[in-house]
Amino acid sequence: MSTKAIVCRCEDVTLADIQHTLEIGYRTVEEVKRYTGLGTGPCEGKECMAQAARLCLMALRTDGPDKNDAVVEPFTSRPPVQPAPLGIFARGDEEP
Amino acid sequence: MDRRLNEVPHGERLTLQFEGGDVTACAGESVAVALFASGENVLSRSIKYHRPRGFFCLAGHCGACLMRIDGKPNVRACKTPAKEGMRVERQNAFPTGAFDVLGAADFFFPKGMDHHTMMTSPRALNAVLNKVVRQLGGLGKLPDLPTPQERTVELPRPRTKHVDVVVVGGGPAGLGCATECARAGKKTLLVDEQDRVGGSLLAHPQHGVRAANEALAAALKAGVEVLSSSTVLAWYPEDAPKAGAEPGLLAVHTPDGLLKLTASRYVYATGSYDQNAIFTDNDRPGVLPARAVGRLLVRFGVRPAKKPVVVGDGPYAKALTDALAKTGATVTRIDGHAEQITQANGRSWVRSVQTSKQRTIKCDLVAVAALPAPASELPRQHGVPVAFTDRLGGFHCQVDEDGRSPVPHVFACGDVTGFGGIDDAISAGARCGRAVVASFSGNGVGKSA
Ligand code: FES
Repeated sequence: MSTKAIVCRCEDVTLADIQHTLEIGYRTVEEVKRYTGLGTGPCEGKECMAQAARLCLMALRTDGPDKNDAVVEPFTSRPPVQPAPLGIFARGDEEP
Repeated sequence: MDRRLNEVPHGERLTLQFEGGDVTACAGESVAVALFASGENVLSRSIKYHRPRGFFCLAGHCGACLMRIDGKPNVRACKTPAKEGMRVERQNAFPTGAFDVLGAADFFFPKGMDHHTMMTSPRALNAVLNKVVRQLGGLGKLPDLPTPQERTVELPRPRTKHVDVVVVGGGPAGLGCATECARAGKKTLLVDEQDRVGGSLLAHPQHGVRAANEALAAALKAGVEVLSSSTVLAWYPEDAPKAGAEPGLLAVHTPDGLLKLTASRYVYATGSYDQNAIFTDNDRPGVLPARAVGRLLVRFGVRPAKKPVVVGDGPYAKALTDALAKTGATVTRIDGHAEQITQANGRSWVRSVQTSKQRTIKCDLVAVAALPAPASELPRQHGVPVAFTDRLGGFHCQVDEDGRSPVPHVFACGDVTGFGGIDDAISAGARCGRAVVASFSGNGVGKSA
């Protein structure tokens, strides 16, 4: 077994993956998500998004003093926030 | 092996079918807790590198416990109540979870797999690599074919409901808020995704089952309607519950199907998600958030470990350390600042950790009390602004002292406004409840329609 520090457990995204993403210049949580797949698994970012934001913020702060009060934004929260069986949406008609 | 504590009452004994053998469960336990209590550790393999994965949050928030249950893939074992005769299998492992030849992916890609460079290889090689990736990736296998009875089952019809106040989340903040609203005569519905209401109270040795039951009893006595085992999936701003009605509804996944829920006031008391610390092999099974360890002990009466390490210096880490020691465990606590974990060792379960002070500590569990992250997705969908604050755990709702958000009729209280723990949540919930009530008489933001 090789050694890895995991940030996103669902998609096996490692700290090294995120550091690489930041090294090539990306700085937003959305970009980290799109480049690494972080936050796209069954937990939808519940375990990794805050960590990714923290790492982006640290990278922004090392970019220079003008970035000291840079803000980070979460990636878009899309329905459903928890996995659900499609069957519950399949019937359009309501109870009378 | 049975890790259940004798001095705690357990539900009636049941038998699960786990990969050909029998495993004992007690009524009231989830499948994940039943397996752990019976000494089964590895639940599955991870999606890409096939690393061993056990449960993590025990709250339905991480996806680490996906198993094949009664022929259905990707079911959360920590959210599935154990039932007599249930068929439980590991998934994402070949040939078995305990011995997984695909784990070679972890070995062959020590620096990780970069899907980007795999895709830019020459075409022929790309095709081959695609096949490799297909074989390695993916979650589970297709479900068993439906039985003749299942094939004729009618899909549940969606229902609609309107209340004065809906409170999402039945932890300390939500329970207190709902109780205040119901006491003032408002028709109040509390929705909670767990099968047992109480949220983080059920993970705290100094609060526990008794405090959760008392708070629930107070809510019921005040007239709160409680909908448990029900997950609010989304706020849909453009959908109307019925033709001609005002748009905007909460979609709720209940045991009886979809509920389209509308309310005059919406309160988000969704709490916070447990987080891990970042260190080498931090995903080793047995490295758990402190509150998951607390849930095992406090809610389920299961002995988490004999030699646990607790990481953290806050009040919760201290309370958990004491409670673990009371079970007879030898507990090592490290503060997580001056001394941090640098690496976890062990194959299918953690066996020791290394620290920044060059110590190696033998252990059979690591409880990480990292700052939980506010669960702000639903209020974000509802237009509530959030900000990132490190010491508050992540993206928290921006509301005033009493939980009023800038969005009319929408409130938030408790950890979702920034992690503060149970005592803060209790007082914030009560304050928010009073503000919600006041808003109906025009004293607060957002007049009643
Ligand atoms: S979702 Fe089940 S352990 Fe986290």
